[in-house]
Amino acid sequence: MKTLKFGIVLFFATSFLHAQGCSDAGICSIGKAFQEETKTFKNSFEINSILGQGDGNVSIFTQTLSYTRKFTDKFSLGSRVTYNLANGDFGTRGQFGDAYLIGNYQFKETNNKQWSVLLGWKFPFTTANAKINNISLPMDYQASLGTFDLFLGTNLNYKAWDFNLAIQIPVFNNNKNSYFDELSVSDDFPTTNLFERKSDALFRTIYTLKTANNKFLFKPNVLFIYHLGEDTFENQFSNRETIKGSDGLTINGNLIGIYNINSKNSIELSVATPFVVRDIRPDGLTRSFVLGLNYRVLF
Amino acid sequence: MKKLIFILSILVLFSCEEEGILTKNVEQVPVDEELAVLKYSGTFETTSGISGEGKTKIFLEGNQYKLILEDYSIENGPDLKVYLSKSNSPDDFVNLGNLNPSATYLIPSSVNMTEYPFVLIHCQQYNHLFAIAQLVQN
Repeated sequence: MKTLKFGIVLFFATSFLHAQGCSDAGICSIGKAFQEETKTFKNSFEINSILGQGDGNVSIFTQTLSYTRKFTDKFSLGSRVTYNLANGDFGTRGQFGDAYLIGNYQFKETNNKQWSVLLGWKFPFTTANAKINNISLPMDYQASLGTFDLFLGTNLNYKAWDFNLAIQIPVFNNNKNSYFDELSVSDDFPTTNLFERKSDALFRTIYTLKTANNKFLFKPNVLFIYHLGEDTFENQFSNRETIKGSDGLTINGNLIGIYNINSKNSIELSVATPFVVRDIRPDGLTRSFVLGLNYRVLF
Repeated sequence: MKKLIFILSILVLFSCEEEGILTKNVEQVPVDEELAVLKYSGTFETTSGISGEGKTKIFLEGNQYKLILEDYSIENGPDLKVYLSKSNSPDDFVNLGNLNPSATYLIPSSVNMTEYPFVLIHCQQYNHLFAIAQLVQN
């Protein structure tokens, strides 16, 4: 009961922050699926509240619920639902964003090395065309990219190091965004009418430091995300146009601190910021600073 | 399991879809009846299954063409747009923005009006045409 109370208090405390998730399309948080769960418990449930500050004076609050079930020692299946609330010069808009389903298979450990592979799918709850008062909003205000995405990834764990490699492929585009810069009072956002987004590739290196009693863990990590092509939109004259500079590299630095309250419960604080960004980020993934608070219970 | 249901209920309660108040919008520039000259007009014909009626007028005010809707009562739909179109189907068009019967739509200066003899009301999200107006030169 104590734990439950703590969880609820934490949830309320974080709910009133105006927060948001990692500055990516979902790919940077799938790395969690690689992390080894405890051997004792088969289920993990997490609540995550994230605050981010994006371009155009948009602050974004993301709330996620995650459930992971370990079916065997090697195979686990994780699910996650996100809710986004964006607040900026246009006003406030909140919606459920995406659902994720991610399977993770860990191979046998040999010589301190353990490989695992990941296969996942993202389902959008929206078509990325949320409006306020019938006024179309830029992608920064949208809870989802509006794409059905496939995730493929692999991880190598070697002693205290983890190396993630993953790709996020938009398989089916259902983005119906209708924001036109030309028709808007704001100059902060590019046109994203009927936006089509390209794939991302990710490489991440994580180093895990543990205190002697295993109560505290610190995970500094660097995240390289390469957007594999230039995104496109349909311009005002019904022609598809490429967004120059929307491809390229983003490098994020991320520090995660975990406090294990006991064998079942833990809280995690995550701070991230990009060091290198693409010339233009029409997808609205423009967070310059991200702060996340996560509560996890194992059972 | 009780814990899960309880926490989930709280999340649902606090995470309902929210649409706040619009705090930034383009200021409408109405047609100046003294300066503007009526150049084109048309009457909407709705497509199958769509009811209602309406008219459209295009004025030239200085060097700026402006489009308005009049007596507009065509039924509403999701994500309706106003298109200035080269034909009576949404293939080659100029997207003037979201449907708002009281709005004044500014037509981009690069548009050659003689090439666009139709105004369409089109649902962009589901690609469904609602109404067509053929323009007549005044």
